[in-house]
Amino acid sequence: MTHSPPSRRDFLKAAAAGSLGAAFSLTDAQAAAKTLTLMHENSFIKTYDEYMNKTLIPAYEKETGVKVKYDLVSVGGLQTRVTTAAETGSGPDLTGMAFNWPFLYDEKLIDVTDIADEAGKANGGWHPGGTEAVIVNGKFKAVPFGNIGQLMNWRTDWFGEVGFKTFPDTWEGLLEAGTKLKKAGHPFGFSLGHGFGDNHGWLYPLLWSYGGAEVEPDGKTIVIDSNETAAAVDFCRKFFQNTMLEDALGWTDPSNNKAWLGQQISCTNNAQSILWLAKREFPDIGKVTDHALNPMGPTGKRFHILNPWSHAIFSYTPDPAVAKAFLRWLMQPKQLSGWYASADMYYAPFLKGFDNSPAWNVEPRYLPFRDSMTTSHLPGWPAPLSRAQSESVAKYVVVDMFAKACAGASTKDVIAAAKAQLKQIYQQA
Amino acid sequence: MVESRGWIRPFFQLWLPLAVALLFTLFPFYWMAITSLKPNSELYNPKLMPLIVHNPTMKHYIDLLRETDFLTWTYNTMLVAVVSTAISLVFGIMLAYPLARMRFPGAALIAFAVAATYLVPQPLLFIPMADIINSLHLGDTLSAVILTYPTLLVPFCAWLLMGYFKTVPKDLEEAARIDGATRVQTMVKIILPLCTPGFISAGIFAFTLAQNEFLYALIFLTNSDVRTVPVGAISELVRGDVFYWGQLMAAALLGSIPVAIIYSFFVEHYVSGLTAGAVKQ
Amino acid sequence: MSASTLQVPPRAAAGNRALGRSRFREWTEKEGVFSWLMIGPPILFLCAMVGYPFLYGCYLSLMHRPVASTGEFIGLGNFIADWNDPVFWRVARNTIVYTFVTTVLKALGGLGLALVMNQSFPMKNFVRAALLLPFIVPTVLSTIAWMWILDPTFSVLNWLLIAAGVPAPGPSWLGNPVLAMCSIIVINTWRGLPFYAITLLAGLQTISPELHEAATIDGATTWHRFRYITLPLLQPVLFIVTMFSIIFTFSDFQLVYVLTRGGPANATHLFATYAFDIAMSAGQFGLGASVALAMLPPLALIILALAIYMRKR
Repeated sequence: MTHSPPSRRDFLKAAAAGSLGAAFSLTDAQAAAKTLTLMHENSFIKTYDEYMNKTLIPAYEKETGVKVKYDLVSVGGLQTRVTTAAETGSGPDLTGMAFNWPFLYDEKLIDVTDIADEAGKANGGWHPGGTEAVIVNGKFKAVPFGNIGQLMNWRTDWFGEVGFKTFPDTWEGLLEAGTKLKKAGHPFGFSLGHGFGDNHGWLYPLLWSYGGAEVEPDGKTIVIDSNETAAAVDFCRKFFQNTMLEDALGWTDPSNNKAWLGQQISCTNNAQSILWLAKREFPDIGKVTDHALNPMGPTGKRFHILNPWSHAIFSYTPDPAVAKAFLRWLMQPKQLSGWYASADMYYAPFLKGFDNSPAWNVEPRYLPFRDSMTTSHLPGWPAPLSRAQSESVAKYVVVDMFAKACAGASTKDVIAAAKAQLKQIYQQA
Repeated sequence: MVESRGWIRPFFQLWLPLAVALLFTLFPFYWMAITSLKPNSELYNPKLMPLIVHNPTMKHYIDLLRETDFLTWTYNTMLVAVVSTAISLVFGIMLAYPLARMRFPGAALIAFAVAATYLVPQPLLFIPMADIINSLHLGDTLSAVILTYPTLLVPFCAWLLMGYFKTVPKDLEEAARIDGATRVQTMVKIILPLCTPGFISAGIFAFTLAQNEFLYALIFLTNSDVRTVPVGAISELVRGDVFYWGQLMAAALLGSIPVAIIYSFFVEHYVSGLTAGAVKQ
Repeated sequence: MSASTLQVPPRAAAGNRALGRSRFREWTEKEGVFSWLMIGPPILFLCAMVGYPFLYGCYLSLMHRPVASTGEFIGLGNFIADWNDPVFWRVARNTIVYTFVTTVLKALGGLGLALVMNQSFPMKNFVRAALLLPFIVPTVLSTIAWMWILDPTFSVLNWLLIAAGVPAPGPSWLGNPVLAMCSIIVINTWRGLPFYAITLLAGLQTISPELHEAATIDGATTWHRFRYITLPLLQPVLFIVTMFSIIFTFSDFQLVYVLTRGGPANATHLFATYAFDIAMSAGQFGLGASVALAMLPPLALIILALAIYMRKR
């Protein structure tokens, strides 16, 4: 807009520009149209990605004129992409985040406390698990979304045959069931190898339910060598020897899926993928597959591993306000309910307001995933978020401790080795 | 001096070991083939005899070609392999020719440096390499791998070609120079054409290494439409903990059989190329 | 220059230019100059793409450099951490054992197969191409096939063993730590043996049959001929192929990454996979670089030892 009164020449120019603009659709609004890129991991549930592409993104564009590109990265590749983006300072504006990545990449993410607070207020508040992974120095560096739980998968028919109509409540009870089932030719198979989920899913909860921990809440004192840990390790060895296939020692994440669908095992720890695939391709197996919460330990408590997903905005984004507006819009109740439902609640919502959403009734066997959230924690708990946590997980400190014991090493030795590793890791943190 | 003593000698000296070798070598391919043809219900059934396909299906192949970017990955892989092989051959020639046929100051040092390049392992380079590629904003482009693959291929090409260049007699070169040819002309018109088997040999080996490369592709290529077959197959056909075994095996076969067929045409050259290069050091 | 103001007759001018050109050409025709002009570009390329990253990698290894964060210089801190890390030593041991055993198996097997293939038989080319298949197929994909072959539940091998009387479910190829190491050794051998075989075959074919005939006439046995004619003449080929193979195997990544990710309990973790986990999963670039750099001394020593051994023979 010129400040001086328009001369005829200016008027003609403007008219020409206007008609030209109309001809080439170069109106002001569109010339200022923004585009955003949202990066996410290729969801194992296709409908979730489709909902974003076909419903949410078009609706947002219609409302605000902002175009959004949904950039899908293959499973396992997201961390690499996030690393690249953070290191080079260019890439997508928004991204999905997993685990404790908001902490790792904290310096390159913008503060989204306002969006998170709004969403929390509008939807009954956040489950503590959701906030555990995203709050860095008192600020939300990502807005929590949902949890991909790891729960006990069990064969209702075979358990029933040995007298267990419901899933055992305690580890000792599970041991009893497993011993009987192994004798009956239906052993257990819990992953003990270098996977990324099915091993953490039961080993950390096992440790915690016995009262053990890697590090104190102060984040410094290493307490892995305790009687509680020793008790957990001893139990794990007995559990492995009496109930499981030897092969489980080396199982990575696809192995237990394969064994389940081949009807080799009666119980394992897994996310929803087994039931999902069984329902699609092996309905007979699907009918007798159910989920249950992890058992309780001698402390009377049960735990689950937290696998939290959240959304964050990179600080290099050219227009943070636009990116924040999109994220705020996504987290509004109107969008949220459809968004969560599109994945069949695979991402169990961290917002308490969705605890009773009718979407849970679609597949009641997913309800335990919702119930597990109140007892879920990140590996490294009860210590606060830290890089040392990530290093401990990357080096499989806890997993290998249990695995070596199951393979025959003495409890004293495996705990000493774990302690030595943690000392090296936490000193470097 | 092998007298024909009936079938016993040939059997133990030739047929039996050959059969064992072929069995050991090809059994996994047989496995890939039958896995790619088995429907999931059969695949997961441990009670069935695993060595034969009871109800073959083309579903995995169809799904692979239709629902994934497999053809794109194949195209990418071939493109990257061909271009990086070409670059490596050219660089290989430029390194090998002087080292094999000329004397010049610093020759020993250069030869050592090139050999030392190979000692530097990929796992060390990938971190700083990622930094370089990212700062050049080449991440997620085929240029990233085309630029980095020759680092793996050039030393081997250079070594192989050096051996080959050494076998060409000096008199040929001298004769050409007496006739007034420049060094470049001598090289291009006289020496190089004689070494074609060496190029084929080095080219095939480089091509194989390039299409098999995984670590750099994993780090640099995270978008499905720029991925190569190894990374694409692992990432797309494995979603979390669900492996699409049938499709993975179909990808393995479709990815290797064409290259193998090309190999069978060139294997004679490949062998003779290695001969000269390796033996006459 | 006064020449430019004169009217130089065309022929002389051409002669001048030719003289200038030929002086330039003379210079480039010198052995030394020509050589350096030729090796210049590739050397520059290697310096930029290998030399610089290598130096940068060394620099990184001396820093505490978490992802998305500025680094700080800590001197030998990472190396001290590795020294105190029990898994690091396990990884070192694994890598050395893996490299040594597979190299021996591949060399012996390759030599044997090459000797067998050196005879004439129908469809030789087809057989040679078929034998190269393990080398051609992308490692990650063939490894996935092996995952299935080694799964006790679905493995043909276990099926046969159980049929022969071994108690079900048979050996756990990827669960038992020792068997897991054996499994990666077998797969690596499967993949690499063809390369040895074909290369050694090439070497065998250059040995003139007349040498063998002459020796036989002199009364040498098959074994003598092999030991005193074949082996020495194969030595250069064997050395080169072994050297490349050792370098590739020592820095192997794909096989373990796909098959076991280093498990069970680090029984199959190699330098490459460990460095990868530290750098990409834990986000510690400095520490990851230090583990990768630690590969160099043992690798250099092995190559040196091999070279000395070969020179002696």
